[in-house]
Amino acid sequence: MQSGSLFDGSSARAHAVQVAAEKDGIRIELDNGRVELAPTRLLRRLSEDQRQVRLIRSDVEGWSLRLDKPLADDLLARLPRDERYGRWIDKVGLAPALIVLAVLTTGVVATGYLAPHWIAPHVPMRWERKFGETVFGDFRGVRCANPRGQQALETLVERVAPGATKGPDGVKVAAVDVPIFNAVALPGGYIVVFKPAITETDSDALAGVIAHEIAHVRRRHVTEALIRELGIGALIRMFAGNLGANAEQMLALSYTRTNETQADGDAIDMLRRAGISPRPTAALFTRFSKIDRSAAGTEWLQSHPLSGKRARAFDTSFDPHARYEPALSDKEQAALANICNGRESKSE
Amino acid sequence: MDAIASAPAADDGRAIQFSGTLGEFLPIAISNFLLTIVTLFIYRSWAKARERRYLWSRTRFIDDQLQWTGTGLEMFIGFVVVAVVLGVAYLGFVFGLQALVARVGPLALLVVLLLYVGGFYLYGLARFRGLRYRLSRTWWRGIRGGSDDPGFSYAGKAVGYYFATFFLAGLFYPWAQAKLWNQRWNKMSFGPQNFEATMTTDDTSKPFFIMWGAIVVGSVILAVTAGPGVEPGRPSEPNPIVALLFYAGVGLAYLGFLSAYYRAAAEWTRIGDIEFRFNADFSDWLKFYAATIGLAIITLGLAMIVYNFRYWRFVTSHLEVYGTVDVDQLTQSQTRAPREAEGFLDALDIGAF
Repeated sequence: MQSGSLFDGSSARAHAVQVAAEKDGIRIELDNGRVELAPTRLLRRLSEDQRQVRLIRSDVEGWSLRLDKPLADDLLARLPRDERYGRWIDKVGLAPALIVLAVLTTGVVATGYLAPHWIAPHVPMRWERKFGETVFGDFRGVRCANPRGQQALETLVERVAPGATKGPDGVKVAAVDVPIFNAVALPGGYIVVFKPAITETDSDALAGVIAHEIAHVRRRHVTEALIRELGIGALIRMFAGNLGANAEQMLALSYTRTNETQADGDAIDMLRRAGISPRPTAALFTRFSKIDRSAAGTEWLQSHPLSGKRARAFDTSFDPHARYEPALSDKEQAALANICNGRESKSE
Repeated sequence: MDAIASAPAADDGRAIQFSGTLGEFLPIAISNFLLTIVTLFIYRSWAKARERRYLWSRTRFIDDQLQWTGTGLEMFIGFVVVAVVLGVAYLGFVFGLQALVARVGPLALLVVLLLYVGGFYLYGLARFRGLRYRLSRTWWRGIRGGSDDPGFSYAGKAVGYYFATFFLAGLFYPWAQAKLWNQRWNKMSFGPQNFEATMTTDDTSKPFFIMWGAIVVGSVILAVTAGPGVEPGRPSEPNPIVALLFYAGVGLAYLGFLSAYYRAAAEWTRIGDIEFRFNADFSDWLKFYAATIGLAIITLGLAMIVYNFRYWRFVTSHLEVYGTVDVDQLTQSQTRAPREAEGFLDALDIGAF
C-alpha cells in the first residue's frame, strides 16, 4: 500500500488515499471507504519531483493523484511511462530522434534549394511577360533607339539563335545608354545590353555574351533565380500581376554556378552552329578575369563571376579547321555601334 | 503567512513558492532547443508545453503545486488551423486588392485601413484567447480556470484603444493598458469564481509620461547632435554616444513604467477573498534585465533558452498573495475548454509563455 492524496475534480478538497497495484492499473482506496480503479492506459504521468509523482486521468477532468515517494516496484510497473520529449521521441530516444530529424530536415532544406530548378521550366512564360514589360519599362528614358542599330542588334540575335526573336515568347532585345559593362536577361524573355558591351567589344564577342543570355532565357534560369531569391510567393504575386519588384532588384538577381556553366555550354554550341569564332568571347573573358572585381563599371562580373576556366572553355571550343564568319557585316557593325545615337524620348 | 486555505498549511510564510532549479531546467531547455532546430521549428509547440509543465509543477500555491495539462499537439494543431486561415485571407487580399484597385481606385485606401483594423482586431483576440487558454490548462487542486467569453467584444474594444493611442501620439497608452487589463481579467474565472480587475492609472501615468518625455526630448537631442549626412538627401548619422545614452535613458524610463504597471495590475486584481501584490521595484527590474542582457552577451545569445525560466522565477518570487481559499467552495469550472489553444498568438508570433 502506498499513501497519497487525490483530487476528484468536483471540488478542491483533498482526499487521503491508499494505492495498490492491480491488474492493468491501480486500485485507490479513499478516506471515506470508497474504492476506485484506474486503468494504466487512461493515466498520464504529468510531473514528478523528489517527494511525489503526479498523475491525471485522460477521461476525468480535474482528477489528480499524488503518490508519495518512494514507490514500490509493483506499483511503479503499473504507472505509465514518464512523458518527456513527446510520444514518438520518448519511444526511440532523444539521440536517435535528433539524428533522424536532422537528416530529414537536411533533406527538406535541400529540396527547398533545388525546388526552383524543378519548378521554373513549368511556369508559363505569359505569367512573366507582363512583369518583364514593367521592368523593361523602367529603362524607358535611357533606351537607345536608332532604328538601324536596333535592326543590327536583332540581326545579331537571329544570327546566334535563328528564330529566337519570333513568336509571342520570342526574345526581345534592347540596348540602353548606361555607362557600365553589363548585359542582363529579364523575366519574359527580355534581354538588355548596356552601351559599353556594344562599343567596347567587337560583334563576335558580343555574340558570345548575347548567346549566354539567350541560354539563361531558354533554360528558364531567370525564373529560377526569381523564385530562389524572392521565394515561391513571387510566383503567386506574378500570377496576380503584381510582383512588387523593380528593375534594380532584377539586376541584382544572380544565377547558380551550375546555371552559369550550362549557359556557357549552350553559348558555345550556338556560336559553333552559327559559325562564329568563340575566340573573341574567350579574349573578352580573359580580359575581364584580370580586372579587379570591385572596379566600377563592370557589373557583369558581379553577376557572372568570371574565371580563367570559363575563358578556356570558349577557347578550347575553337576548331582550327572550321570556317568562321564575322557575326555581322561591316555595315551592320557600324549601325550597331551607332545604336545609342538617337535616344528614345521619355514621353514614349 | 500570506494566504491560507482551509486545508493543510504551507511550511513557510509565502503563499507562492517556486522551487525550480536551473539544473533541472537546463536539460529541458537544451533538448527543446535542439529538437526545435532539427524540426524547423515544428517542435516549438511541444517545447512550450514541456517548459510550462515543468515551471507549473515547481510552483506551489499555498499547499499544492500548479499543473499544466496543455499538450504540444493541441498547440500545434491550433497554430496550423489559424495559420491556414490567415494564409487564405492573405491570398484573398493579394488577388482581391488587384481587382479592387482596378475597379474602385482610391477607395482601395479604405481597404488598407480596414486591413489595419483587422490586424489590430486579431492581435486583441489573440491576447484574450491566449490568456483564456492558459487558464483553462492550469490546474490547482484539481480545479481549473477559464472563460466563457469568446473575446470578440474585447478585440473590438482593443481596436478602439489602439487607435486612440495612435492618434494621441501614444499619450493614451497607460489608460489603454489599464482598461484592456481590466477587460481581459474581468472575463476570466477560476473554478466558480470570477476575477475582478479594477486597475487605474493613478500610479502608472506618471512613470509613463516620464518615459514619453524621455523619448521626445531624447529624439530632439539626437537630431540636434547628429552629424552631417554622408550624402545629400540621406538621413544624417546620429552621434553614437548620444544614441547610446538615448537608448539607455529610454530603457531605464521604460523599466520605471514596467515596475509601476506590474505593481498596479497585481494590486487592483482579485479573485474571491484572494488579493495580490507585486513587490518588485525599479531596482529589482533593473537587476533582472541587466542580468538578462549580460548573460545574453556572454553566451552569445544562447542564454535566451533559459529566459522563460528566469522570468517565471522573477515573477513568482515577487508575487504575494493574501486571503483565504475555502476548498469546499472551490468547485470545478463550468467554462468550456477552448480547442484552438494559442493558435492566434502563435500565428501572430506574440507571447513568450
